[in-house]
Amino acid sequence: MAEFKLPANSIVKIGKTFSAPKGGDKEQAKNTRKFIIYRYDPAIDENPRTDTFELDLDNCGPMVLDALLKIKDEMDSSVALRRSCREGICGSCAMNIDGGNTLACTKSIADIKGDVKIYPLPHQPVIKDLVSDLTHFYEQYASVEPWMKNDTEIAPDKERLQTKQDREKLDGLYECILCACCSTSCPSYWWNSDRYLGPAALLNSYRWIADSRDEATEKRLDDLEDPFKLYRCHTIMNCTEACPKGLNPAKVIAKIKQKMIKRKIS
Amino acid sequence: MSWDDKRPMSPHLQVYKLPLTAKLSIVHRGTGTALFIGLILMVWVLAAAAAGEESWQSMHGFLSSWFGKLVLFGFTFSLYFHLCNGIRHLFWDMGKGLELEYAHKSGIAVIVASVILTVLTWLIA
Repeated sequence: MAEFKLPANSIVKIGKTFSAPKGGDKEQAKNTRKFIIYRYDPAIDENPRTDTFELDLDNCGPMVLDALLKIKDEMDSSVALRRSCREGICGSCAMNIDGGNTLACTKSIADIKGDVKIYPLPHQPVIKDLVSDLTHFYEQYASVEPWMKNDTEIAPDKERLQTKQDREKLDGLYECILCACCSTSCPSYWWNSDRYLGPAALLNSYRWIADSRDEATEKRLDDLEDPFKLYRCHTIMNCTEACPKGLNPAKVIAKIKQKMIKRKIS
Repeated sequence: MSWDDKRPMSPHLQVYKLPLTAKLSIVHRGTGTALFIGLILMVWVLAAAAAGEESWQSMHGFLSSWFGKLVLFGFTFSLYFHLCNGIRHLFWDMGKGLELEYAHKSGIAVIVASVILTVLTWLIA
């Protein structure tokens, strides 16, 4: 049964407020914005809280990640977050910004109205602040065996060729960066992530189902034939709304369901 | 799913701005439940009609009251919404209309259609 409320140890309290530092000159910053950030410190026995940081946007980069790094550099060095590439290809800075999952590095501050609220990816165990534990998410990815299975012998100096048309079937699949924005946006995944694989793992399963060079299609479909692993998708479409790479996991899951039916009736 | 982790669970429903598609998914569930309960009430109505004039009169009195009408109106809307959105789901099952743009448009179409059908039914009946 779905548990809609947060456990007692997870209720978010109101924390501290940090005002914008005065600009280089004596003048107070004019173009300010409040960033309300989820904080949790495993070292102290307290519930999570939200701290408010007021930033001078005239003195800050355009993206939410720029603001977070400015806060970490200049206001509170204890703010914990993952980030690496700062250009939307590594997937590290996935978090919940302004009520939706996305990458902090590609989310423009100008696109957000009012206070900027930043939380970790939803319904996950929090390690510290904006860093959530994605171990289970990665295990589910591994469970779809995301590598090519092909028993046909081929000379070591030969490639496994693919037609241009077959290669195009992988478009919209291979681009996934495993940031977990989609899976952690999905209410079905929130309530059933112990058994439902979630949009990211399913999309990556289909990436190999659709690959003309892979010979394990039937086995892959057999593995997904389960009331929970695949069929907990109810086409809520939060995944597609959230994907920072513009992919459509909801549509991909529908394709897997179609393949299931087609092989049953043929 | 029970939470047996010492670490906190990050907020979900509390902070997520649900898109239209998600809200309609919730309404689809809600109307489905309403129809299930409504069918039991419907059997009750039929049983009252079958039990003779006296029991039918008291049931008719309830159905004519503002509360009875509200229940019937809710049932009508639930029926039309669930039907229209069910058709939307059938298209999705065929792999059609799953692009965000179409999913939004079909969602709005379902709302408009179910409201119009409900109002029409009540105007005619």
